[in-house]
Amino acid sequence: MRGSRHKSAERIIEKLLLASATIAVIIVFFIILYLFRDAYPAFKEVGLVKILTGMKWNPVGEPPSYGAYPLVVGTVLVTLGAMAFSIPLGIGSAIFISEIAPSRLKPGFKFLTELLSGIPSVVYGFFGLVVMTTWLRITFNQPTGESWLAGSILLGIMALPTIISVSEDAISSVPTDYKEASLAVGATKWQTIRNVVVPSALSGITAAIILGIGRAIGETMAVMMVTGNAAVLPEPITNVFSPIRTITGTLGIEMGEVAVGSSHYHALFALAVILFVIVLLVNSSALGVLMKLNEKFNPTEKKSRGWIPRAAASLLRRAFWGAIVVVILYFAYCRSGVRGSLEAGLVLAFFSVFVIILAHHPFPRHEQTAFFAAISGSAVVVLILLGVILYYIVSKGIPAISWEFLTQPPRDLGRGGGIFPAIVGTLYLIGGAMLIAVPPGVGAGIYLSEYAREGKITRLIRAGIDNLNGTPSIVFGLFGFAFLVLYLNFGISLLAGMITLGVMVLPTIVRTTEEAVKSVPQSLREASLAVGATKWQTIRNVVVPPAAPGVITGIILSVGRAAGETAPIMFTATVFSQRFLPHSPLDPVMALPYHLFVLTTSIPNSIQNAYGTALVLLVVVLLIYAAAAMIRFRYRRTVRW
Amino acid sequence: MDMNMGANMNNQTVIRTQDINLWYGTTHALTDITMEIQKNKVTALIGPSGCGKSTLIRVFDRMNDIINGCRIEGKVFFNGKNIYDPDIDVIEIRKKIGMIFQKPNPFPMSVYDNVAYGPRIHNVTKRAHLEEIVKKSLKLSALWNEVEDRLGQSALGLSGGQQQRLCIARALAVEPEVILMDEPTSALDPIATAKIEDLITDLKKQYTVVIVTHNMQQAARISDYTGFMYLGKLIEFGKTVQVFERPEQELTENYITGRFG
Amino acid sequence: MNLKAVIPVAVIVVVIIGAYTGGLFGTGDRSEIQTLSVQGSTTVLPIVQKAAERYMDLHATVNIQISGGGSSVGVKSAGEGTVDIGMASRELKDAEKNEYPDLKVITIARDGIALIVNLSNPISGVTVEEVKGIYDGTYTNWSELGGDDVDIVVVGRDSASGTREFFWEHVMKKEDFVAGMLEKNSNGAVKQTIIQTPGAVGYVGLGYIDSTIKVLTVKVGDEEVEPTIENVKNGSYPISRNLYLLVKGGPEGLAKDFIDFILSDEGQSIVQEEGFVPV
Repeated sequence: MRGSRHKSAERIIEKLLLASATIAVIIVFFIILYLFRDAYPAFKEVGLVKILTGMKWNPVGEPPSYGAYPLVVGTVLVTLGAMAFSIPLGIGSAIFISEIAPSRLKPGFKFLTELLSGIPSVVYGFFGLVVMTTWLRITFNQPTGESWLAGSILLGIMALPTIISVSEDAISSVPTDYKEASLAVGATKWQTIRNVVVPSALSGITAAIILGIGRAIGETMAVMMVTGNAAVLPEPITNVFSPIRTITGTLGIEMGEVAVGSSHYHALFALAVILFVIVLLVNSSALGVLMKLNEKFNPTEKKSRGWIPRAAASLLRRAFWGAIVVVILYFAYCRSGVRGSLEAGLVLAFFSVFVIILAHHPFPRHEQTAFFAAISGSAVVVLILLGVILYYIVSKGIPAISWEFLTQPPRDLGRGGGIFPAIVGTLYLIGGAMLIAVPPGVGAGIYLSEYAREGKITRLIRAGIDNLNGTPSIVFGLFGFAFLVLYLNFGISLLAGMITLGVMVLPTIVRTTEEAVKSVPQSLREASLAVGATKWQTIRNVVVPPAAPGVITGIILSVGRAAGETAPIMFTATVFSQRFLPHSPLDPVMALPYHLFVLTTSIPNSIQNAYGTALVLLVVVLLIYAAAAMIRFRYRRTVRW
Repeated sequence: MDMNMGANMNNQTVIRTQDINLWYGTTHALTDITMEIQKNKVTALIGPSGCGKSTLIRVFDRMNDIINGCRIEGKVFFNGKNIYDPDIDVIEIRKKIGMIFQKPNPFPMSVYDNVAYGPRIHNVTKRAHLEEIVKKSLKLSALWNEVEDRLGQSALGLSGGQQQRLCIARALAVEPEVILMDEPTSALDPIATAKIEDLITDLKKQYTVVIVTHNMQQAARISDYTGFMYLGKLIEFGKTVQVFERPEQELTENYITGRFG
Repeated sequence: MNLKAVIPVAVIVVVIIGAYTGGLFGTGDRSEIQTLSVQGSTTVLPIVQKAAERYMDLHATVNIQISGGGSSVGVKSAGEGTVDIGMASRELKDAEKNEYPDLKVITIARDGIALIVNLSNPISGVTVEEVKGIYDGTYTNWSELGGDDVDIVVVGRDSASGTREFFWEHVMKKEDFVAGMLEKNSNGAVKQTIIQTPGAVGYVGLGYIDSTIKVLTVKVGDEEVEPTIENVKNGSYPISRNLYLLVKGGPEGLAKDFIDFILSDEGQSIVQEEGFVPV
């Protein structure tokens, strides 16, 4: 009797988890479908080829032209730049935190980097526009600092916390066994990290990079403030000081003002679809790279390598690299003659020396010193960045803070009075979004890792979720506006905003949960099953507790993102002013990021209170983080293997 | 404490410890350990769980360095040099003193790459040379015949006993002088254990072996010297025959005869 | 069931429910309160917001909720009836007129558009033709206009902006802007770039003029006209546009009373306070 009760409970729980996975998936595909539906008329009217290859984006010209080529190139360039900046820095910092930093300081470091993700994107954008572009303009003597480089640096900074946090979790969960085995044969610490620790954590690091890229590609508010948004190709294409325009920037700028149903409107959705495809390509190539690396590291049964084909493979590899060098030189020659090819040759020679040093390790000892210096350096750079931004916000924000500012509603267009209703509204929105997103998100993550059979369908689901993560937040906003506010007739309301934000953070929660749960060693599950525990008992008592820090990391990142986002709530939930606090979930609310956005963009002479609002928003997020970080720290201390 | 090393003047000391004290945080895990390890012999460390024998063996190749809050005092001489001197290269030490762990811990790589890991780390890049080392090490660890045709496959597909011998091959591939084994057979079945024991007996022709074991029969079977530890102290140390047949300390006798432990 | 895990969850749920019901019962009787919702263009928002603050001071039971989102969001939500009043800084497009034929458009103010440059720029005035030349790429250096040898950084508004549309029609004569123009999505962002970029030129609403930037006069005939509320009102300053409120089927009740308030003398003085031109 006991057995059968267990069995049915077991079945119910599996069904529940399946249901949450299904909900997550349905939401994902629903949004994707919605995107395509509104993009279709543009593809039909203008034609896919014309959109993709057109050189001019001027939707209000006569006749309008919808050439997205410069925008696509801009998106790719800015993202590449951001990745070139944030991947080494992020992984370096993650290695620093988990392997090099004194253990007492680890939680502190981790917490500090996560603070970066709690800074709202509007604040990043404002900081980038006022501080960074000025610095770039003066340092490099350019007419304007609003450029590709500015966008890349800013997006890189914004992607950092995701990359650091998620890869640090992955690196920390590499079994000590491996490290000991490597050290025991006389490997240096760096050799151990490079050859054993990082490769073992590769799946998690890839997830980190995908999530980071997603954040960078999907970011709207910050990028449109610093790249200048000129729809031109950099001339030459490597000119990082050229203004540039990204797809998200275009969506962010034009979506709010475009006439719904016009061909301009559909063209913007076509852009969103193109962006979606770009994210898909980036994600699948990242997965491809991961699989390649995995193969090298963890060979499968089928591919036993003989001695001879290996030599052939190395020959092929050399031929491949040779061909790439030739192609680069050829293009350099075509573009700028002998001088160009000479320059390109020099750069290539420099890189090959670098690669040779990396591949052959002639000085392992100095290499360790150099890499540790680089890794510690990257952590220092991240901390300095955090310091500069925090100092900026705090020093500008402090003068605005007063008791009245924290407890009163705004007066005189927010130039006077306070922001109390906005604080309350933001807390409501975050709380609601988490209530909506965490249960299905965590459930779906557990289901994908523990129940779902690996196959085409799980891969499809994962691809869909990863892509949704890279979908610009403004698309969620529009989805919420069209579906929740208008179609379901929620009106502009707290509820609509909570759902929109919840849906937006769902992919992050699903993926981080899945990764965290997956990294729990199989032997623990077997040990639990072996004493007669059911699958669910095993998951609940053995798998989830050690995975909890990772899951909490995902939730923390989501809270930060939900708290700071403007685009998803500006059409769905927020009002600029409210006489009363919301009475029911169907009332609209004020919210800190939106208040900040309106103050900085539309209310002249309100800059003082804008800084104050940014500071309060930061503190609110910080408090939530501190609570979550404490929970995680406690788990970390009790769970070790 | 009687430190009778025997009168055999052919014996050559490889490792000598002098007044080792070790703390994990505030826990005093090892107290005043002084002992000598002889070349080309098998030295066994026995004692009840928690007596410090695994901690002691990790002192010999400074594996305790990676444990937070671990503090050590005293000297460990390896070929005449104190390995805890600040100017000593811990990497060189670990290269010359290999270690096998309680649980087989092959990397999630191919069999070949597992064995080649150490040589690669130490800058063996020529393929022919690497292949030679891999083959030699696998033969030494008596695994070659079983894996000859599956070198490219994942090491995780091997049986537990094979995995442990692979770990031994991995250690041998960097040509150590001493091999430390921390309960190497505790996770293995009797047949796999017998294979490892045979292997240890073979290995002592070329190497010096220190083995931690909780299996007294195993210590009696394969070791030349035995140390009995209790509560972080080395209670008795001497030739295996002597320790087992004419223990000098009552504690040792009680443990060996099974009166406690 | 694991009680320890349940307790914190339960506490959180109770707190959240408590917060909601607290909000529900905390602020007195709901039935008396009349709510008016307004959404749309952020350019119009300051006028309506300020008017609403004044109006709510006069009417204790009225709650006016104002949110931005942009002109099209204003058109769409007013047209769909999600909000009572929409705000727009541009005229309705044909597509929108077809979709929402019963949307009534009310002009509440005019917005003068000033050309602004960095304080370090010695240029003080331009003709409308020169403005066009700057924005279509004919001039690329300030020296061509009698200024310093500094590259011109052209800053404009986004292609969906009503300000830009007006500028394009009346200044550019419907010709294309130079491709390298930096595009900003708000007056505030344009101004910020002008403040920190020596070679930059841009256009913003009159409300954004202050001492941090330099305002260019526009030559009309022989006369240099400054962009002031006066000059826009009397028609001598050539660049300005209308701001609108949208109501489905025409205003009634509270909406009508509020719009009448904006159009009244008191309302129009608010318009002027915020740097817009009364109608």
